[in-house]
Amino acid sequence: MKVNARFRDMLLWILIAVTLGLAASASLLLFLGKNPIAAYGLLAASVIRDRYTFADIFVKATPLMLTGLAFAFTYKANLYNIGAQGQFYIGAIVATAMSLFLGARLPGPLSLPIVFVATIAAGGLWGSFVGFAKARFKSNEFLISMMSTYVALAAMNYLLRTALIETKHEYPQTNPFTPGLWLPILVNGTRLHAGFILAVLIALLVWLLLFRTPLGYRIRAVGYNADAARLAGIDSGRISIATFFIAGTLAAAAGFTETNGVQHMLVQGFNPNIGAEGIGIAILANANPVGIIFASILIGALKVGGAIMGQRSGIPASIIDIMEGFVMVFVILSSFVRSGLETRRAKRILRSRTK
Amino acid sequence: MDAPFLEIRNVTKLFAKVVANRHVSFSIGSGEVVALLGENGAGKSTIMKILYGLYRADSGEILINGRKQKIDSPKDAMALGISMIQQHFSLVGVHSVAENIILGNVKGIIDRRGCERRIQDLAHTYGFDINPSALVRDLPVGAQQKVEILKALFQNAKLLIMDEPTAVLTPQEAASLMDFVRRYAAAGNSAIFITHKLREVMEVADRIIVMRDGDVVGDVPRAGTDEKRLSTMMIGRELPPLPEEPAVPPRAGEMLRLERVVVRDRHGVVRLKNLSFSILEGEILGIAGVSGNGQQELCEALCGSLSLASGRIVLNGQDLGNLGVRERIQLGIGYVPADRQKDGVVMEMTVAENMMLKSSFDPRWRKGIFLDRVRIAAYAKEKISAYSIRTPGPEAVVKGLSGGNQQKLIVAREMDNGSRLIIFDQPTRGLDLGAIDYVHKAILAQRLMGKCVLLVSTDLSEIFALCDRIAVIYQGVIQGIFLKAELTTERIGLLMAGYPDTPHVNDAFSE
Amino acid sequence: MINLLSRALMMMTPLLFGSIAEVFAERAGVMITAIEGIFILGALGGFVGAYVSGSLGIGIVLAVLAGMALAAFYGWITVYLKQHQVVTGVAINILAAGLSSFFMRVFFGVPVAPLTVEPLRAIPLPFLSRIPLLGPILFTQNILTYCVYAIVPLSWFILYRTSIGLTIRSTGENPEAVDVAGISVERIRFSMVVIAGAMGGVAGAFYSIGYLGMFTTSIIGGRGWIAFAICFLGNWNPLGALAGTVVFGIAEAIAISMQSSGTLTIPNELFIALPYVLTIVLTIARRSFNVPGKLGVPYKKEN
Repeated sequence: MKVNARFRDMLLWILIAVTLGLAASASLLLFLGKNPIAAYGLLAASVIRDRYTFADIFVKATPLMLTGLAFAFTYKANLYNIGAQGQFYIGAIVATAMSLFLGARLPGPLSLPIVFVATIAAGGLWGSFVGFAKARFKSNEFLISMMSTYVALAAMNYLLRTALIETKHEYPQTNPFTPGLWLPILVNGTRLHAGFILAVLIALLVWLLLFRTPLGYRIRAVGYNADAARLAGIDSGRISIATFFIAGTLAAAAGFTETNGVQHMLVQGFNPNIGAEGIGIAILANANPVGIIFASILIGALKVGGAIMGQRSGIPASIIDIMEGFVMVFVILSSFVRSGLETRRAKRILRSRTK
Repeated sequence: MDAPFLEIRNVTKLFAKVVANRHVSFSIGSGEVVALLGENGAGKSTIMKILYGLYRADSGEILINGRKQKIDSPKDAMALGISMIQQHFSLVGVHSVAENIILGNVKGIIDRRGCERRIQDLAHTYGFDINPSALVRDLPVGAQQKVEILKALFQNAKLLIMDEPTAVLTPQEAASLMDFVRRYAAAGNSAIFITHKLREVMEVADRIIVMRDGDVVGDVPRAGTDEKRLSTMMIGRELPPLPEEPAVPPRAGEMLRLERVVVRDRHGVVRLKNLSFSILEGEILGIAGVSGNGQQELCEALCGSLSLASGRIVLNGQDLGNLGVRERIQLGIGYVPADRQKDGVVMEMTVAENMMLKSSFDPRWRKGIFLDRVRIAAYAKEKISAYSIRTPGPEAVVKGLSGGNQQKLIVAREMDNGSRLIIFDQPTRGLDLGAIDYVHKAILAQRLMGKCVLLVSTDLSEIFALCDRIAVIYQGVIQGIFLKAELTTERIGLLMAGYPDTPHVNDAFSE
Repeated sequence: MINLLSRALMMMTPLLFGSIAEVFAERAGVMITAIEGIFILGALGGFVGAYVSGSLGIGIVLAVLAGMALAAFYGWITVYLKQHQVVTGVAINILAAGLSSFFMRVFFGVPVAPLTVEPLRAIPLPFLSRIPLLGPILFTQNILTYCVYAIVPLSWFILYRTSIGLTIRSTGENPEAVDVAGISVERIRFSMVVIAGAMGGVAGAFYSIGYLGMFTTSIIGGRGWIAFAICFLGNWNPLGALAGTVVFGIAEAIAISMQSSGTLTIPNELFIALPYVLTIVLTIARRSFNVPGKLGVPYKKEN
């Protein structure tokens, strides 16, 4: 079937891109006098070696999946959400505040959903502000969403110094949460928490929303052709608000998974690049929600592997960024090559038909 | 004998599916004005684009003043003194007239005063009235065209090629342009203009070259020919007779009424002035007129994407007031827009997805909170076969469909959505004969369902073939509404040109 | 107060280099989303050059080269290969962050104490620096800041009063008009990107060798993006960029001085957030921006 052939093609090219990206990073290791093959071999081995390390891949993938979705979702409407980092912080703040407040007052299974709902509501509201500015004032959402991150960061730092600060008042961080508010661990002996399942479910829900519901249809229509959509009665202003609201909830959910699933508290300066990395994930997956699940697992694997390489082979942590960066660059280049080949193929077909 | 300024010898150009130019040869002398005449697809634009360096010929040669030249890009053409004014201008709207003219033509620090003076002088020489510091986007289309022309003159063009220059001009602007062409030629320069309008040709050309299906079929001086002969050469046969006059069903009630509608465009300029007309059930009303006289605004006001400054629109007894696009779709207004790729379809979506574009809010496509894709696909399949849309299937991406099939998709969709009123804006532009015929038949079929149809078109033969009544619009005002029998081509032409309706004058023009 | 203003001017310097760089590129139609990465590599290049050679001048040269190299890579992908500008920029930023930290390790290993160089010194101008009030603020600055005094009016002049400036502006508004005039759209865009890379490299170097005297990947901290935002806020005009930079420069100076002085009556986060809030307010309030018509759209010729 033709659709499957295209899909297979794309997968092949992504595989080529990832391989080239890893190869390019590997070659840099030579500068350090390290043996790249040995290092990568060690990476591959250690990643599947013990439960803790393997599970950590998914722990790292979880927030990436959600911030990736937060960028990809608005991207489908041809809007740029550069504020996922800030929406993440807002989510983290609200999740933390609610968790600290609820404490042990309610049993875990009851309080966690409450915290979750509060978190995503806050994130949605924060995000929808950008959408509203776009809808009402036609403001540039790229810039406003970018700026909103810094505001969220400042707010978080302030709160960490004051209202949310730990009882010891020693560091800019909060008290740890009571265990009832920790996301349950899925596999003993690892850090893998229910947040991963949540993230995957959310990704699938997003896919359903985009491709199987009327709202998703309208979002994609506006994203592809706002003029035709307007004449079809679709209000692009409402779509702006809706998409930014949803994107806000997604990034905020990432905040929830990190505070309640991994840290169990809020620390200053945690996951400082999760927003930008989310954009990278969305790029790798071509803004497809299902692709984002896999892309985030891939990058999660790179991160864990990079950390291992750091511990075992003394390779600096920066190799992780380098691998991510090179893989992304090669994916971009491969899309160029792919479209070039397609055009050439089409022209050849046309020419042969007219002979 | 002196070599002519320009000679084209045996130029042939092949595209993927068609021979655009076949052994085209002709020449132009200095001081001559040549009209390149032919129907859509005759090959006129192609040969000129080759001359201007935008295309490369597959064989043949171009000689300037007797010497062979190689023209690989517009830069080469301009160096030889050849300039081309295309239908679609390449001006920077937010820059001034002067800035547009000097782009690429001056070096170093800009001497604004000096340039403006040079431009004023140039404009004066040719009788243009232009303000060099005005912003191009604030100028009417006719003035923008003058800016393009001045740009060519600034570069000392010796041969000016104009592609359908009067397509977007009002009659006065067109007259002013013809005036300029005469002066330009009188100064020893040459001009070629591409057109399919016989009237203009007879007004200003010294010689007329007629092309048909890629060949040159006629090369005659103006004195030795007339419109009828040219038209026969263009089409290659006698024009077929107009089909029978279709009848409006008796006792038809009023479906649509516009009362003193005033519409401003997005810049606040009034585009429709006190427009009033009505359409009966089962009637087809045509809006004839040169593009840009308010037709676009009329369509948008009817479908709800442009609001009225005053007046009202009543559909089936209901005042549409401020109802938005979505509500109007639900009330049964269908719209087949002029720019099908921009306004009519979402190119990256599938045929099925495009079929439901206007009805995305409709509960019939829903199964719970999800889209009922089975139903949408079935609906699409039904329309594909009903309208003979050539496509692999409902899941095919619309981008891959030909223009004609894209239009059929839109027509199929709007026929369904438009249960009361369907607006067609240039429905057959750019389509091949088969698709044109199909769309025409589809439009005629609407009357049987009691819908009213508004047909906006610049193609008079289409208007005459399909409409019961014809309204002529000029600068946002309806010049008159007539029954088909009351109009002749000349009378409607004058009305479209803004001349007040005087039947007596017509007698003088009729043969 | 004088110290504050003097410091503000100093903090404005890299932002001006960066935002004016961005103005030129965006006027030609390319938004350099890789600006953050360019700043980072410029900072690295500046530091490495200065540390190894002992001369700050060599450092700046290396910074320029590093910036230009990264910009050329970005330009190649976005202008010639016509790939998506935001997507490419993000990828390059991540790569640059990794590369800079990595090469610090390659060159210098893991030092016991952070390596430092002597940052740019203030050079009091002979006569002018003695003018009361203005002297210590405006005329007792480092060489890069003096450069900026020239760059702002020079950029304005080039953009609005010269033929090349007109061509650049037309390329961003309607590249077709430029193409038809026989000028290569890609060449204009690519060269603007590379020039912007040079200026961005200098901007980055300012943080490492002009101010702090050391290099870590966190010293840029998003300031490339601020330059990007200032270009927008300044309406793609060098003078507007100056205005926008003043806001950010002063806010940053206040935040720094408050942090060191330790007064906590007004939370210092407020000052840090202020310029961003202001940007948001201005973006919303100013309904019409002169966005270059075809900004961000790769130019594909019709064949």
